[in-house]
Amino acid sequence: MSTQQQEPESQESPQDPEMKGTESPQQRRLREKQEGMVEDQAEKEAEVEGETVHLKVFRYDPEIADKQEPRFDDFHVPFEKGMTVLDAVMYARDEFDSSLTFRHSCRQAVCGSDAFFVNGKQRLGCKTQISDLQQPVRIEPLPYQEVVKDLVVDMDHFYDQMHAVEPYFQNDDTPDSSDLEEQRQSRENREKVKMSTRCIWCGACMSSCNIAAGDNEYLGPAAINKAYKFAMDDREPEDVKEHRLRIMEQEHGVWRCQTQFSCTNVCPKDIPLTEHIQELKREAVKKNLKFW
Amino acid sequence: MAERYSSFTPGGTAWFLQRVTAAFLIVVLAFHFFLLHFVNHASEVTLLGTQQRMDHIGYFLTMVLFLVAGAFHGVNGVYNALVNQGLSGTPKKVVLAVLSLAGLALVAQGTYVALVMAEMI
Amino acid sequence: MSQSYNRGLIEDFGRWKEFSAGMWAWIFHKFTGWMLIGYLFTHIAVLSSAIAAANGETMMIAGEQVNAYTGTIQGLEGLFIIRVLEVGLLAVAVFHILNGIRLLMVDLGVGLTAQDRSFYASLVLTGVITVASVPTFLSGVGL
Ligand code: HEM
Ligand code: SF4
Ligand code: FES
Repeated sequence: MSTQQQEPESQESPQDPEMKGTESPQQRRLREKQEGMVEDQAEKEAEVEGETVHLKVFRYDPEIADKQEPRFDDFHVPFEKGMTVLDAVMYARDEFDSSLTFRHSCRQAVCGSDAFFVNGKQRLGCKTQISDLQQPVRIEPLPYQEVVKDLVVDMDHFYDQMHAVEPYFQNDDTPDSSDLEEQRQSRENREKVKMSTRCIWCGACMSSCNIAAGDNEYLGPAAINKAYKFAMDDREPEDVKEHRLRIMEQEHGVWRCQTQFSCTNVCPKDIPLTEHIQELKREAVKKNLKFW
Repeated sequence: MAERYSSFTPGGTAWFLQRVTAAFLIVVLAFHFFLLHFVNHASEVTLLGTQQRMDHIGYFLTMVLFLVAGAFHGVNGVYNALVNQGLSGTPKKVVLAVLSLAGLALVAQGTYVALVMAEMI
Repeated sequence: MSQSYNRGLIEDFGRWKEFSAGMWAWIFHKFTGWMLIGYLFTHIAVLSSAIAAANGETMMIAGEQVNAYTGTIQGLEGLFIIRVLEVGLLAVAVFHILNGIRLLMVDLGVGLTAQDRSFYASLVLTGVITVASVPTFLSGVGL
């Protein structure tokens, strides 16, 4: 069952003197492996006592002969109070199978790198409590994105859509820096865009969207929400807002949204995505009615 | 991404008209069902009864408008559903042409029938 | 992307048990919409018998000589299966209207947080109205 690689890629040891002496988890794993300290996975699992969590994890790796055919591996990891899905897969990787691959970084729902498809729903690994899930916990990579390896998916298309909406503040008419160093936003305006600013680019929404799955050109909820953040920002001039609405009202923009609420249901930051998309639709219609 | 900067609004007008016709259809469709199944039973419909109803110009116009709105709403709905599924390129143009023709034929035939019923031709 | 794996339609209809309210509403609205436009074409075709009737064509129905329009409609209405299909049509139309109102509210940004409950309400109301209409729709027809 275990698919341990014999030659994990090696990393140069840190040059920074301050970092000498400390050992990263990866280095520890490598050292243990060289010292023959890693026992067989089956043996290890047998040792685990007390309450365990049963994980079924999607495995695939085009570069390893026996992982080219996708499959699910079972892991039984010891349960701890407060354990998240990310904690569980990290335990499985550190203790049972170091080739298990997934992205993670902040472990506190900030970096957006660990959205997985957990028990049939897009969720953020580090924000999902194991105790809230039915076992076995089935962990798969995000649907509708190509799988690179195990739980790692290709995010390029998602990032392309995010960039397509020009996700940066645009105002040529900035106040003279000598009298103002900041461009202040009113409290009310800040409140209006507050939820939209919370996006962590995890891609869960895009992956849950049935329309985004069928229409590859659809901008998708996260990108439209990003556009909303700027279109609703009072500090941008009227013509920039109009320009933004013009991007939104293209055929593969807001009109493709069918208000299924799938994205709103999965967003780990509770952004009211459907509401924002709907508001942009109304804004676009209003603008065009004014035109007539 | 120059194509994103065109000044017209594919989808926007159709989206809006889909909602406007929907609002109209709510009222007329409910009225239509009620009139022809509860007030008059469908099984008792006769040419004479139909002609009497259609003789009222208000009823006649409502029915023709009902037809036009329903045809647009339905055909545009089907087209939209296909675009949502990723229809694009030449097949998309063909589908649009076929659906438009079908919708126009439906409205033409329906209007003709309505005129006959109202004994205007 | 030669080195990656496409799993195809993971979330689609094979996983229908995991769909949420909004997804079901979309599927039902789509289905009922297609039924309604399909019916509209059929409806106009049937009503076109008025043209033949206006030209003086007649037909026999229940031993009586009647005009082609009256005969066509009463002939169809005399069939039990047509009555059953009409009840189906009513259910389809009522759901499409009720969920259509729900969608229009969503478009206006009204009651977005109640969107799942309003879908369930549309379903229940459709059921109630349909069942209550069965006697009217089936009156005066034998099996
Ligand atoms: C009576 C009131 C009606 C209301 C309130 C209503 C409402 C709606 C709305 C809001 C949509 C848009 C869904 C979307 O694009 O997100 C829609 C779609 C549709 N409607 Fe209606 N409608 C009504 C009657 C009809 C009738 C009479 C027909 C048939 C002629 C019809 C056929 C359709 C079709 C085919 C769709 C597209 C469904 C799809 O997405 O595949 N509707 N309806
Ligand atoms: S909108 Fe929500 S689900 Fe979508 S990428 Fe941003 S944080 Fe993730
Ligand atoms: S690890 Fe950063 S969001 Fe989960």
